[in-house]
Amino acid sequence: MWGKNVVIVLGCILLAATVYAKEHPGKEQILKDGYQGPKTCEECHPGKAKEFLGTVHWKHASKVDHVDNLDPNEEHGMKNRIYTMCNGNDIVNNLKEVPPNALGKTKFTGCNTCHPGDHASDVGSTGPAAEQAIDCLICHSLKYDFSKRKAVKDSSGKVVMTQDRSTEAAANIGRPSVKNCMACHEAAGGGAMIKRGFSMAKDAEVHITKGIICVDCHQVKNHKFPTGRDPNNWAHDGIYMTCVGECHTIKPHSDPDYNRHTDKIACQTCHIPKTGGAFSKDFTKWEKQSNGFFEPSTLKREVNETAPVYAWYNLTVSNTPQFIGPKGSRTDGKSKIYPFKIFQGKAYYNKKDGKLMSMDFAPPIANGDSLAGVASAAKILGIKDYEPVPGWQTIYFGSNHQVTPKSKALRCANCHAVNGVLNLKELGYNPREIEKLTTPEIYFEKLLKQQQENE
Amino acid sequence: MKKILSIVMVLALAAFASFAAVTTASAEELKMTGTISKIELAADGKSATVVLKDTKTEASVTVIVSDELTLDKFKDKRIVEGDEIRTKYDSEGGKNSSKMFKKTAGC
Ligand code: HEC
Ligand code: HEC
Ligand code: HEC
Ligand code: HEC
Ligand code: HEC
Ligand code: HEC
Ligand code: HEC
Repeated sequence: MWGKNVVIVLGCILLAATVYAKEHPGKEQILKDGYQGPKTCEECHPGKAKEFLGTVHWKHASKVDHVDNLDPNEEHGMKNRIYTMCNGNDIVNNLKEVPPNALGKTKFTGCNTCHPGDHASDVGSTGPAAEQAIDCLICHSLKYDFSKRKAVKDSSGKVVMTQDRSTEAAANIGRPSVKNCMACHEAAGGGAMIKRGFSMAKDAEVHITKGIICVDCHQVKNHKFPTGRDPNNWAHDGIYMTCVGECHTIKPHSDPDYNRHTDKIACQTCHIPKTGGAFSKDFTKWEKQSNGFFEPSTLKREVNETAPVYAWYNLTVSNTPQFIGPKGSRTDGKSKIYPFKIFQGKAYYNKKDGKLMSMDFAPPIANGDSLAGVASAAKILGIKDYEPVPGWQTIYFGSNHQVTPKSKALRCANCHAVNGVLNLKELGYNPREIEKLTTPEIYFEKLLKQQQENE
Repeated sequence: MKKILSIVMVLALAAFASFAAVTTASAEELKMTGTISKIELAADGKSATVVLKDTKTEASVTVIVSDELTLDKFKDKRIVEGDEIRTKYDSEGGKNSSKMFKKTAGC
């Protein structure tokens, strides 16, 4: 049993180490004939472009069956969701030029700038033109010139996204690096580390330090990306993953005192003790920047600065206009305690039906007028009967990255001391149980021994 | 022994130097939003000198960037001349060392 685990762990490390070794066999032909977009790749990798059009990265949506109050036959995702981390979606915030601000300046804005198409072929488009519009290289080139990827107006005045389609970029194909993925993932939520608050810098995360990168854990097959059950990551390619899998078992510790917890406490709870980024935004009040543009007012912390909130989670999601977060309880037999970042956002609700409204950001970016943004979004969505009233929404984000060095993982006294990080009462333990869980009896001998070893 | 002595000397000098700096211009944290007019990577790749034009005052400010993540973004052109960025930097003795350097981004 032990031997088997060692083999699996070695397998993971080898996987990570062989990444850079081999050169892409298509290099010579690409250097000779140049790169004409996906059709160049398709000469040797037929069907890849069409396959990609069916994934979340292209559609920004999928059917979702673990979230309350959704039509299971509809697709949901960044394309059409409405929440308060970013109070819009690809539809109402379709890439466009904002009206001139008071200084006469304009700029391009839109959620779908984080889509690997060219905007002419947009989120969810299909057919031969869409296949040829895919930016394969943003994920696959190790020499991508990111300055070539930007929004511009083409000769007919339409806003398009340009790409790096140089032979140089295409000649340097490989497995996607952290940088390739971070091209879009780093600034999700409106700026670097705002939504997720984790850093993938070399010294910040134990796996990255060892050379284990995004695609070593997210083992992508046929462009289907495995994902987890973050309560705010609804769209999925049909494959789920957790920390437990090819690399770790559910009982990974040599010390049984830790293993006894893994049925009730998720790995992340002990191994990702901090989170960070934005914890509150107000979309009803936009702040003027020195460049004359406005931004939603945002309270934020650095990465790794916020203590998470712990809750039971059975991997199904409560979804109401005021709350998006984990469902579960101590007693349902399915839940574990997970760490979350609580985020609270203020935006407009429609008094007529109680639903959260979305906002087109172009008007408020230019002049701070958030109600003009609501009016524009309502028009795009064909909503006529509405009365906007401000209100708050609370949402829970999963905390699934930036595994801390093991010396900083939560230990016995972090939880079992009377001032421990878990709110045992909120988690459903009664006073008698709490007394039992917070007696030094539980950890005294062990910590004393550790202390002696360290002295 | 000689080595220890020279370390002591260096420390003494450093203490003196920082004392001198304190009396002339104490380290001050400043922040600004500006457009990049020039990025110059040092030959060893370990720092970059960036000239910014303050969006408010149009004044030119030179900032030294030395954190690895940002330098990486200069190298593969995720941040280029013409981009608008937000920075926080320490200003000491006429030298500005960046502590934060990010592209401005709305939601
Ligand atoms: C002349 C043929 C040819 C062309 C053109 C070509 N490839 Fe490949 N590629 C191969 C071969 C052969 C392999 C290795 C066999 C395999 O893994 O399927 C490969 C492997 C790959 C891999 C796996 C690399 C790894 O290290 O795991 C990726 C990713 C890839 N190609 C992407 C592309 C992309 C993107 C393009 C277009 C820019 C492209 N290829 C163009 C022949 C080609
Ligand atoms: C810089 C790239 C980027 C931009 C711009 C961006 N997003 Fe996203 N967004 C992401 C990524 C990456 C994810 C998925 C990963 C995550 O949540 O960490 C995501 C996820 C989402 C989700 C959750 C989707 C789901 O499946 O549940 C919503 C909702 C969302 N974004 C809304 C928006 C809105 C609204 C805007 C524009 C106002 C926007 N995003 C702009 C990168 C971006
Ligand atoms: C959003 C990022 C992304 C985009 C865009 C993307 N790929 Fe991939 N691709 C991946 C990942 C991740 C893998 C798996 C790499 C691994 O684990 O080795 C992969 C694997 C591959 C492979 C090798 C494995 C296989 O499935 O045969 C080929 C070939 C490939 N991609 C071609 C393409 C082509 C051609 C395009 C454009 C039409 C494209 N990719 C666009 C992320 C992407
Ligand atoms: C072109 C921008 C872009 C790039 C590049 C990109 N992503 Fe994403 N990714 C997104 C967006 C946007 C979403 C959210 C879409 C939604 O939920 O509607 C997303 C969602 C995801 C998800 C959750 C949904 C799913 O498909 O399972 C995972 C996991 C993910 N990305 C991993 C990666 C990895 C790993 C890479 C690097 C190989 C990568 N992404 C590169 C934009 C990007
Ligand atoms: C050490 C392994 C590991 C690495 C490295 C890793 N991930 Fe993940 N990721 C996971 C696991 C495990 C989950 C799901 C956890 C769960 O829900 O139980 C996840 C979840 C996600 C999600 C869903 C939203 C969320 O935050 O839960 C996205 C998006 C994602 N990863 C993108 C990335 C990107 C992009 C990178 C590289 C920058 C990356 N991951 C690196 C293991 C990893
Ligand atoms: C109750 C807290 C707790 C839980 C739950 C927990 N761990 Fe740990 N884990 C620790 C601590 C503390 C250490 C460091 C132990 C040490 O250094 O002696 C550790 C060490 C490890 C190590 C390094 C092992 C070694 O011997 O060096 C791995 C790998 C690991 N954990 C994986 C996991 C995985 C996977 C899960 C979920 C199945 C998990 N842990 C759940 C607290 C926990
Ligand atoms: C992340 C917080 C956390 C850490 C770290 C932690 N525990 Fe626990 N422990 C709990 C919780 C919560 C329970 C109750 C689980 C349940 O409901 O079954 C528990 C239960 C126990 C129990 C069973 C108590 C009973 O009366 O049923 C023992 C014994 C115990 N822990 C010992 C330890 C020791 C020893 C360590 C350090 C090696 C440790 N715990 C680390 C949270 C933690």
